[in-house]
Amino acid sequence: MSSVANSVQCIRLIAGNTFLEAVRQKFFNSLLILSVALVGSSKFFQQFDFGTGELKFITDFGFGALFFFGSILAVTATTQLFFNEMENRTALTILAKPVHKLEFLAGKFLGSWLLMAVFVAVLTLVLSGILYWRETILMGRLGDEFADGRLVHYGDILLFGVLQWIKFGIICATTLFVASFSHTNLYTMSVSFFVLVICQLQYIARDAYASMESGAGRYLVQGLGLIFPNFQLFNIGDQLVFNVEQPFPMSTALQIAGYGLVYIVVFILLAQLNFRRREI
Amino acid sequence: MSTPAIRIDNLTKDFPVGMRGLKLRAVDGLNLEVQDNEIFGLLGPNGSGKSTTIKIILGLLEASTGNCEIYGQPSHTVTARRSVGFLPEAPYFYRYLSGRELVRFYARVCGVPRAHIAEQVDSVIDLVGMSESAHRRVGTYSKGMLQRIGLAQALVHDPKLVILDEPTAGVDPLGSAAIADIIRELKRRGKTIVLSSHLLAQIEGLCDRVAILHRGKLVRSGTVSELVEADNAESLVVEGLSPEGRKAVEAAITAQGGRLARVEKPKLSLDALFLEEVQKQERSRSADKEVSS
Repeated sequence: MSSVANSVQCIRLIAGNTFLEAVRQKFFNSLLILSVALVGSSKFFQQFDFGTGELKFITDFGFGALFFFGSILAVTATTQLFFNEMENRTALTILAKPVHKLEFLAGKFLGSWLLMAVFVAVLTLVLSGILYWRETILMGRLGDEFADGRLVHYGDILLFGVLQWIKFGIICATTLFVASFSHTNLYTMSVSFFVLVICQLQYIARDAYASMESGAGRYLVQGLGLIFPNFQLFNIGDQLVFNVEQPFPMSTALQIAGYGLVYIVVFILLAQLNFRRREI
Repeated sequence: MSTPAIRIDNLTKDFPVGMRGLKLRAVDGLNLEVQDNEIFGLLGPNGSGKSTTIKIILGLLEASTGNCEIYGQPSHTVTARRSVGFLPEAPYFYRYLSGRELVRFYARVCGVPRAHIAEQVDSVIDLVGMSESAHRRVGTYSKGMLQRIGLAQALVHDPKLVILDEPTAGVDPLGSAAIADIIRELKRRGKTIVLSSHLLAQIEGLCDRVAILHRGKLVRSGTVSELVEADNAESLVVEGLSPEGRKAVEAAITAQGGRLARVEKPKLSLDALFLEEVQKQERSRSADKEVSS
């Protein structure tokens, strides 16, 4: 077998095992059930609605739940799956085989990312189901408002899910990078959540350097803006689902996906640099 | 002369301690050679650098200075690890897999060709005596069974060199004896075995050569007999000698210029006694079973 095929097989095996281990964890199942229950019951939270329509509220609520629980799951699952291997010393047995450390990290990452794919798929499916159900009821009740057909673009929900999945991929890769030099679960999770907040609020730094005169300060803020991925790019929920006049351009979606994939690759390679020197 | 299985040249490993740049030297200028097809014992108290040396051999740690080669290839390369099988101390495996699935998983990780996996997995499971329990989940295994399945995963890609870190730790004497038998069988099949153990009696009975490490330095190395035999004394084990005969032997020794240093009864080791008794019981039990059936 060629070395590339060997590498691919190795990564696939480690990823498969990581995924199997992850879905057996109570934490994943509990979080999934909680998220599904929350999205499923979103109709009953409408008293917190600030004047938006029912379908819009359910969509925003579902997207919010997807981001909130997905982020928690991405950080905790990646941390847990990495440190389980370290603490139980199963990593020792695997890395003593003809396996590159990069293959091990890539396998761990893909296992976690696969877990996120399941999470996103289930939540997107539940959200679409709830929206379809409510929309059908509303169509019967308020027929005139639906004269042009259904209001919800279900393809957009899928697109949003895919982009969120890529964002979770960045979170998994960042967490793996932090875990590669950290020695405790708690430190890894704290730093990763901190990084997540920075990435989420990164647009503030971007706004700041846009209004700055050129100079060291501007370059510093610009540099920070490059180091931390800008998660606002992925928050396109408002431009999706109900925007009939201007559908979201697929080329922009692909650019956002590409932006995310570049950060994923960079963080995994950085993790490899640390992991090479780490005592197993 | 054939390429040594392991060649370690002036190996040193320092670990940074704290923030002030202090270093702890775990291995200090170690020179060692393990020849092909020998059983080599790595001895030493806790903290003597055995595990660090093993990790460097396996490429899990980078040496601070010095070289380590496996069959002529730098030990940190993946290519070198193709010819190495490793059983860690107190191994822990994915508990939800069955023994067979676990060995199969490692076979695939090692790149064993798909067509040979089933045959190879069955063969090593049979070698370690786990055929009857291979369908059970690893989580239900006893310590001895874990060591055996660990040995199976170490051997599944047919490595030339097998490294066993405390292979009998926490295993009862019967299990230890079974593992020792497997190690002898591996040597018979042409493998080189490096093992570290605290059970000196077992090392003594198994190893062709040993090295003693202390505080990261090599203290002694050589064949077991070279190291433990007294150079200036020999012992005669005699049976059925009368008191008169013994006096005559003593007189003959004195007449030949020798001195009878001590007279003692040959002793069976506790390990051997235990094994003998248990095996005797097992034999009589199976004989009883045969009679009753």
